[in-house]
Amino acid sequence: MSGGTQLDNENPQIFQRSGERLWTAEDEDEDIADPIDDREIFDLIRSINDPEHPLSLEDLNVVEQMRVHVSDPESTVTVEFTPTIPHCSMATLIGLSIKVKLLRSLPSRFKIDVHITPGTHASEDAVNKQLADKERVAAALENAQLLEVVNQCLASKLPANLMP
Amino acid sequence: MNILHKFSAHPDTRCWYVAWNPTGTLLASCGGDRAIRIWAREGDSWECRFVLPEGHQRTIRKVAWSPCGNYLASASFDATTCIWGKKGDDFECLTVLEGHENEVKCVSWAPSGSLLATCSRDKSVWVWEVDEEDEYECVSVVNAHTQDVKHVVWHPTKELLASASYDNTVRLYKEEDDDWVCKATLEGHTATVWSLAFDSSGQRLASCSDDRTVKIWKECHPEDEQGEGRASTDPEWKCVCTLSGFHSRTVYDVAWCQQTGLLATACADDGVRVFKEDSNSDCHQTIFSLSVHIPKAHNQDVNCVAWHPKEAGLLASCSDDGEIAIWSYQSET
Amino acid sequence: MAANSVLLGLVEEFVSGQQDSKASETATGVKTGQFTVLELVEALGLSLTSSQAQTRGRGVQLLSLVLQECYASLSEREVEVLVAFYENRLKDHYAITPYVLQGIKALTKCPKLPPGLSVSILKSLFQDVHVQSLMLKERSCVYTILLNLMESQEEELKGLGADFVFGFVQAMDGERDPRNLLLAFQIAGNIVHRGYELGKFTEELFEVTSCYFPIDFTPPPSDPHGITQEDLILSLRTVLTGTPRFAEYLLPLIIEKVDSDVQSAKLDSLQTLTACTTLYTHKDLAEFLTGLWTSLRREVFQTASEKVEAASLSALTALTACLSRSVRHSDSEDGLEVFLDLVLRDCQHHLCEPDLKLVWPSAKLLQAAAGASYRASRKIAASVVPLLLEQYSTRTQCAQRRTLLEVVQGFVQPAQNSLPGDGEESILSGFQQPLCSLVFSALSESNTGLRVIASRVLTALGQQPGLLLPSDVELAADHLTRLVLEEDEPQICSAVMDCSCALARLYPDAFASKMIPKLKGEIFSEPMVQDDGSTPAQTQSRQAVRQRCVAALAVMSSKPSVVQESAPILLEVLSSAHAGSGLFSLEEVVSTCHSLQRVAAQAQDTEETGRFFHDIIIPRLLGLALQAALQGEREGAQQSPLTEEAVLSALVPVMSTACSRLQSQMAALTASRAVSLFLDGDVSFLPENDFPSPLQLLKKQSEAWRRSQLVCLLMACVCSMPRSVEIPQIDRLFEELEELSCTSPHPFSYTAAAKCFAGLVNKRPGGDQLDSVLERMMKRISSELDCASSSFRVQAFTLLLWVAKALLIRYHPLSTALTDKLFSLLPDPELADAAAEGFSLLLSDPADVLNRECHADVRIMYRQRFFTENSAKLFQGFYSADKGRKPGYLKALSHIVNHLPRQVQLTELPALLPLLLEALSSPDRRVQLSTLSCLHPVLMDPPPALTPQVDGLVSHLLKLTTSPGMAVRIASLRCLHALSRLPEHMILPFRARVIRALAKALDDRKRLVRKEAVEARGEWFLVGCPGR
Repeated sequence: MSGGTQLDNENPQIFQRSGERLWTAEDEDEDIADPIDDREIFDLIRSINDPEHPLSLEDLNVVEQMRVHVSDPESTVTVEFTPTIPHCSMATLIGLSIKVKLLRSLPSRFKIDVHITPGTHASEDAVNKQLADKERVAAALENAQLLEVVNQCLASKLPANLMP
Repeated sequence: MNILHKFSAHPDTRCWYVAWNPTGTLLASCGGDRAIRIWAREGDSWECRFVLPEGHQRTIRKVAWSPCGNYLASASFDATTCIWGKKGDDFECLTVLEGHENEVKCVSWAPSGSLLATCSRDKSVWVWEVDEEDEYECVSVVNAHTQDVKHVVWHPTKELLASASYDNTVRLYKEEDDDWVCKATLEGHTATVWSLAFDSSGQRLASCSDDRTVKIWKECHPEDEQGEGRASTDPEWKCVCTLSGFHSRTVYDVAWCQQTGLLATACADDGVRVFKEDSNSDCHQTIFSLSVHIPKAHNQDVNCVAWHPKEAGLLASCSDDGEIAIWSYQSET
Repeated sequence: MAANSVLLGLVEEFVSGQQDSKASETATGVKTGQFTVLELVEALGLSLTSSQAQTRGRGVQLLSLVLQECYASLSEREVEVLVAFYENRLKDHYAITPYVLQGIKALTKCPKLPPGLSVSILKSLFQDVHVQSLMLKERSCVYTILLNLMESQEEELKGLGADFVFGFVQAMDGERDPRNLLLAFQIAGNIVHRGYELGKFTEELFEVTSCYFPIDFTPPPSDPHGITQEDLILSLRTVLTGTPRFAEYLLPLIIEKVDSDVQSAKLDSLQTLTACTTLYTHKDLAEFLTGLWTSLRREVFQTASEKVEAASLSALTALTACLSRSVRHSDSEDGLEVFLDLVLRDCQHHLCEPDLKLVWPSAKLLQAAAGASYRASRKIAASVVPLLLEQYSTRTQCAQRRTLLEVVQGFVQPAQNSLPGDGEESILSGFQQPLCSLVFSALSESNTGLRVIASRVLTALGQQPGLLLPSDVELAADHLTRLVLEEDEPQICSAVMDCSCALARLYPDAFASKMIPKLKGEIFSEPMVQDDGSTPAQTQSRQAVRQRCVAALAVMSSKPSVVQESAPILLEVLSSAHAGSGLFSLEEVVSTCHSLQRVAAQAQDTEETGRFFHDIIIPRLLGLALQAALQGEREGAQQSPLTEEAVLSALVPVMSTACSRLQSQMAALTASRAVSLFLDGDVSFLPENDFPSPLQLLKKQSEAWRRSQLVCLLMACVCSMPRSVEIPQIDRLFEELEELSCTSPHPFSYTAAAKCFAGLVNKRPGGDQLDSVLERMMKRISSELDCASSSFRVQAFTLLLWVAKALLIRYHPLSTALTDKLFSLLPDPELADAAAEGFSLLLSDPADVLNRECHADVRIMYRQRFFTENSAKLFQGFYSADKGRKPGYLKALSHIVNHLPRQVQLTELPALLPLLLEALSSPDRRVQLSTLSCLHPVLMDPPPALTPQVDGLVSHLLKLTTSPGMAVRIASLRCLHALSRLPEHMILPFRARVIRALAKALDDRKRLVRKEAVEARGEWFLVGCPGR
């Protein structure tokens, strides 16, 4: 990430952003309850910074709204993410960032599952298993270096290098 | 099953584990706040009797009482295991066992109290010997698992050690020529095995897993039919029962009541379940049926269940929401 | 000899008696001529020859202390003796050196330093003192001596040749104290900037300074010296970039340090590179260009930091600019050419991959290089523009075309430094035709993004001479017209409006003749189907098209020739609506007024436009409004929309903007016409003056509210004029306005009358005349207010409030009496709420009157002044009020604080915070909201006074996150978010509690609340965590 290190994928493909959610009159209406929907979950994760590019996960198509599924009544969230290349060494870190973002942003009643989009990564099962292991996730977040990188991915700045 | 008490034990974090002392007068808990608290019933409520001074730098994953009830061991993500003892009105840290490369996931005392086992993400299981002066010495490091080891537990009477791992297997160890060696590998789970529990006789072992099942394994001597087998042949452990379809997410813990033979589970679907063995189950075909299911036992994942050692049917559970619940099970009429 | 014995006494008491105060007494003696410095030296004789180093030191100290006060009056002879004396002392015991150095320092400040002495001092210093074994203070002394001599004896020092540099290098080698480093860097800076000879010590001087590069310095907490990392960075940079002779050492160092892991080191290196190019030539850079380019490219391609990217791009621009400056010799290769070839080689091919990430950084690099000079931009454009044009035609996906077009946009907008000079043509003139085709084809695409960017490119092309031919301008107008009619996507609409605005300013005639008639046709076209036959959706979309046409007319109206076409069309909309055409909804009429105001505001300030407004627009608007009012009074007649309050309120800014911009003569005429219209019913200047007479507009008649409310237009005219414009019949005007405002039953009328009264009061010169108007008014207001049964109390209150505002902003002495009256109403059962709300008006800028655009007399500091004078009353009122009356005070307070400038809020915060916290616990949601909105900016940049209150604040805010009011929940969450920015030690204790409490808000039933909760909680998670 610094200086001379070589990136996994120096020149990835870039995708268009979906833009801000348009707020409706219902959103402003005190009397209507708004269920948590797929778009809301997608909005939580789309601006996560990629660990090695000054781009968001949405810019790189790592996350897409169609791969986000939430059920508010059942309190479940499933997110699939797609690494830019099958050997991406950052896959676990990206998954961890998504998971942490959702853990911090969703009510505790939710069960959160984060997986790699099937067939898109060489070590799919291993990465999925790690992400599903809450003990490992907890231990990872007690590791200052790792926590720092995750926090940087979640920092609320918009990536710099992008088209307007 | 009725809830007797529910109290916040580790606010703002998760409660990973609870353990009754051998007489059942105290309940120790540990959690993500790096704290160990010891609880006792006071009249109608549960009060925190002791807060152990800060001994660990990171999450404390598990605690275990020594068989004599005088010591408490704690396993932490900071790669150490602490041994605590009562000094006057307080607990103090007597020894810090170091050696694991990273997170220690579990610690367990052998029934004799002279052996201690620990396991870690570094894939190893360590066996420690305790001498009369309370000095601890590592006598063996076993690297049998291929992935991190989640749990270790001793046989209730013999010097037999069982471990559960992220590599989906359970392994059993015995001492042989001054070294501890893996004598059996129990394969059958399709995902991480999170916890283990022996029944009171030690002939059966329950394991629970991320594959959402609980399996019961039974010790079988190859020569059993012909009477007393040859001592040199090691017993085989066979899966005699799989409880599947009951749990909707990872089963984090299983506990086997030493008095009633009831089996309790802690599940990531927030539920606590109690299974009862059918009267018509035989030694080859063990049958357990679901006796009680409390779907929303806690607000979040249930991490641990622990039967009271003396009072039949009294169960403690703890959860990611930081709370401990005490339940009372009455057998159906 | 008496003097001598006194002197001996002083010396004795200082040296043996250890009485420090004797030094200044001695200095006074020297200054008053009681004895000379040389006599002092003589008197010191004994102590100076003492065998005790301590005694000798004390003696030298006395002399040095005296010299520090008297150096200015020394004679050359005295200086010579003293210098010789001190040089000698330098060889003495090390314990004496500090005092010796102080003495020398004093002497180097002496204006009459005889020739040769500075060289002699330096030689002794360099020879006898090992600077780095001295204490911090003494080292500082040495540097100051050098600096003093550099100021006064530059020629002599230069005579030392490179020896001076060598001596300095030895002196500073190993310096570690930041204060001393600043001095040392200053000396080194002088050396390189003032042309001292470096000789063979160039590299040594570079080494001894560059070893600190890049600076890594964190000042200790509460550092009393206040030296920042930035100070050191800048002063070192001045040294390192000060001479091209360092180039061969500095450039490799920069290449190395740009690669650092530490972001501040990267930035420092890049900025240093940018700085050194101002002095360097191609020759200095040549050897390192490849390496520098590699570093810059890598940083822009790979960085995740906006700052690093910006610094890299600036460095590239600077480097290219440096190469562009170099004179080209026919025999040597052109450095710029070679360098740009390198840049093009590495970047150009990425422009052919519009899907991939590197297209953006590549475009930025190319644009940064092109922005350096005309020559550079010409070369890059020649190579890149054809490539982009070709790519655009071969790529068919919208996303790819959009990217390419956006890159084109970057090249079309020329940077300041690459603008063509005299006689040079635009670098793009060779591509004029294909670029225009590209833009017009993109404007015809259906993709939103493409259309938006194409409009921006079109704007940029239009702004460069020669890039739009007349036929292109007409085509542009056609495209823009089409888009205005077709496009309802907000992003495109706004891009189209911007483009129309810019191009109409540049090509007014083309737009007036091509675009305006078409828009007009659309505005007045009858619907194909009769109204009753069209669906609501169709009606709505027709309305939207008309509104866009009206808005487009307004944005284009800046040049007189356009204004004279567009404004009449807008007027026509109003009169058509008034005539009952049924074509325009009320909403459209209002937005037409807004457009008209925009025209009035942005029309170029020429006599021509002024006359146009004066002759046509203002009379016609007044005439229309009057007709509407009179028509409405007839029984059974159709009501004109121009009698609606919404429309009148929108007309007020049109009139006042137009009037405020009139030249004085026309302004005076307009004012007198308006006054005689309203006072005497004189309608002669109105276009269709078939009005009944006598016409009475300001008289109170209960059925005549349609007339009386027109007073708002009177206000718009007379209250927006410059203060110099004389308003005729002012006394009668005051009387009638007061009467109307105090007795009209119609809220809009009496409020407008009060505002008009206030607007006039504000501009009247102070004096007896004004005082008597105010006195009469006050009396009337007081009697109404004091009479609880009066049915005109609200009217009286309204007038009071507006006049208080008018006086307050001009610092009129009577304003206090009026605002006190307002305070006294806070416990009033009927008016308390209105009074509390009134404080918001008192301190805010009203849109239509009493603001600076209306030439009102507004003092900058009136808010502070009001607060300072009244806060005590407010506090006192609050604390002594009954429980039921407290909310009024809190609301008033919260409004007042909300309008205070940030700086005042900060200074007053200690006193205010307890009350604000109290206001947060008020059950009134409006008070909660107002308080939260005033706290929010304070929390964004928290003052120390906040520290003791954080605990209470957190508790109150957390409580409000569960308020039944959604707006309160949102505002409290925003405040909690802002709190997370406080210094870590202040908020870390609350982290767990806040995170836990906010978990509830994550499950709020409203999505907008959850959004705020997520943001706030996310920030609190980072408190005290790495990676923040």
